[in-house]
Amino acid sequence: MIETVEEAGRRVRGSPDPGSPTGPVRRRVRLGPYLLILPSLVVIGVLLVWPVIQIGRMSLQNVGVRQLRGRPAENVGLANYRRILGDDLFWTALRHTVLFAAVAVTATLIAGTLTGLLLGSLGRRMSALVTGGIMVAWATPQVTAAIVFSWLFGTTGGLVGWFLDLLPDGLVGSGWQSYNWFARPLPTYTVLTLCVVWMSFPFIAVSVLAGLRTVPDELYEAARVDGSTAWQRFWKITFPLLRPIFGVLLTLAVIWDFRVFTQLFVLSGLANRDAFNLSLYGYSEAFGSLNAKYGLGSAIAVVLTLIVLLVTAVHVRTVIRQEGAA
Amino acid sequence: MRVIDASSTLRFATGVTAAALALVLAAACESGGGTEPSGTARRIVVWQMGEGSPEQTRFLDGVKAEFRRMHPQTDVRVEYVPWPQATQKFQTAIAGGSGPDVTEVGNTDVRSWIQQGAFADIGAKVSHWAEGHDLSQGALANDQVDGRTYAVPWYGGVRAVWYRKDWFRDLHLQPPASWAQLVAVARRIQKAKGVPGIAAPSDFTNGILSFVWANGGDVAAKQNGRWTGTLAGPQAREAIEFYAGLVSKEKVAPDAYIGKNELQGPQQDFALGKVGMYMDGSWALPQLEKINKKGAPNWGVFPIPGRDGGLAPVFSGGSDLAVWNDSRHKDLAFDYLTVLDGKRNAQAFATTLKFLPQFSDVLRSGTYQNDPIMGPFARAAEAGVRFTPASKGWADYEGAKKVLPNAVKAIMQGASADQELKKADEQAGSLLNE
Repeated sequence: MIETVEEAGRRVRGSPDPGSPTGPVRRRVRLGPYLLILPSLVVIGVLLVWPVIQIGRMSLQNVGVRQLRGRPAENVGLANYRRILGDDLFWTALRHTVLFAAVAVTATLIAGTLTGLLLGSLGRRMSALVTGGIMVAWATPQVTAAIVFSWLFGTTGGLVGWFLDLLPDGLVGSGWQSYNWFARPLPTYTVLTLCVVWMSFPFIAVSVLAGLRTVPDELYEAARVDGSTAWQRFWKITFPLLRPIFGVLLTLAVIWDFRVFTQLFVLSGLANRDAFNLSLYGYSEAFGSLNAKYGLGSAIAVVLTLIVLLVTAVHVRTVIRQEGAA
Repeated sequence: MRVIDASSTLRFATGVTAAALALVLAAACESGGGTEPSGTARRIVVWQMGEGSPEQTRFLDGVKAEFRRMHPQTDVRVEYVPWPQATQKFQTAIAGGSGPDVTEVGNTDVRSWIQQGAFADIGAKVSHWAEGHDLSQGALANDQVDGRTYAVPWYGGVRAVWYRKDWFRDLHLQPPASWAQLVAVARRIQKAKGVPGIAAPSDFTNGILSFVWANGGDVAAKQNGRWTGTLAGPQAREAIEFYAGLVSKEKVAPDAYIGKNELQGPQQDFALGKVGMYMDGSWALPQLEKINKKGAPNWGVFPIPGRDGGLAPVFSGGSDLAVWNDSRHKDLAFDYLTVLDGKRNAQAFATTLKFLPQFSDVLRSGTYQNDPIMGPFARAAEAGVRFTPASKGWADYEGAKKVLPNAVKAIMQGASADQELKKADEQAGSLLNE
């Protein structure tokens, strides 16, 4: 299958022959695609590239509200970066960000893959029902989901505390009804992980399902005849064939989970600095007080972006290498 | 065939680009705006904080009608800005020049905004405003920088302790008059009623400061033009250890409110009878009634007590009114402001919000002194209103870094008070002097 796609690609790429009589016509045609993507490029340039350049520039300056009004911003070199790196809270936030991403990405991929496999083995109607159900979680806006989770884990009338108190004390202990889930980083991040995974696994599940549909049934039938277990079939057939899909999903999950902001902002907020991640840290420095410090906030944003780019780049490289080897 | 396709898509693409450009240009023109001479404006824009309750809308409609009797040519548009978005909205408006003509502003934020050039100097206008002479001078001082006046107080309020009159009756308790009594009363309620005695949230700077001030301490002191943190001093430390100890030592307050403010649990729990006492302003009454109207007859208020008696000084929270510096209709804006903040309107609005108006003569009247709910608040205000350090950096200390709330949180969770408060003072030294 992969071969056919590549052959087709080679044919397409090889077709414009400069020596052929259709050459000049083709060259005129080629302008079209570029013009077509021009509006998107302009929009991306204005809304994405330009702001990124601005953030890079501002991270080297002292920028407040007055500077936005046109006062020249003072260049401070790397002072903003030095200030961040010298702040204990930055390292705490960095540790939280990385650990959270590691746990959440793993949990999301496992939950998503298992659900995808489940969907693949369900009948048509049941599969549609389950897909519809999990897509509701995917479609829920982040703020809504975060508020629902803060209610579930709230101290007054929280459903989770109430349920845990119903369970035998020997199993889970007691006093859950008044347990403050957001007083310390570990329980806070436990709730955050549940919330984020709950929202992001449906996409993984549906993508895995889409991948599964392309795997010929004969492969599984043959494996079954040979007496394979489900575990073996996943690792010997499904995973190798869906490797490119898993690669993309992993990259996406890493990007999502490094940048989590909304849910943590709603769940524990700016008052609990000991539970900050990098996004919240950057936000509180830039916008937290009336005296905005956009320069400092930009520097934190640059650091976060570099980390995500680095992780993604390393990963994309390995994926491309594996593809090349295969 | 493909050539035709390409040229038609080309035309389409150019069309789209042109349309996008036209949109951008149109937006640019709009924000550029025309220049109308002051005095004949067709519309002034007023920012009001909050969600715009029906009472607030009705009140502002009345103010508008009154204003339009003076200026029939001018329309008034009120825009509501929810409190949590106020900072962002102000920053954007200052940066983009898209502010209102008149705005409400929280009295804790007013100094920062003045220093960022948000408001117009209205000193001359205020001195020609007859009713302006009765404005509470203490509150007005908060709106003045270097002898210039940039805003006027509109309404204000202080915090006190809300309690259950019925429970106090059942248990033969009197409103406590000292810290020791406060703990004793909380413990009795906790034992007899099976709910936590008192709520002690950690994200509660303006309430915690009452205890610090009552004990003769303060957050910071200014000497020779420099701020020095004073929380680690013995008086402030004792007060903070007492407050944090309500959770960690006396165990009369639950740890459910660690990392929260008074609205993230305590208020709702008090209204529902799930906590014995909590500290909040008079302005909490409408919200408490919204949560549990039936409980209202049993709610009472007593001022926060001093350590060994007397009343603790309280922080005065509230709102001021200012004319936006970018306004092109400053005279009209100030005329609207005087209608909104006239004695009659200011008192009517303060009453709907359960706040106090900011005119000294009105406050001294029997209307406020004899009210069962407002009375204790008025008494607390009388005992001494205090403000947080008048430094631009206070916004960083309290808003961005939440220095005191995080120190109190750590102490409640067992950290050493001495160490945490020394760290807080170091931050005060750097943030308040920026």
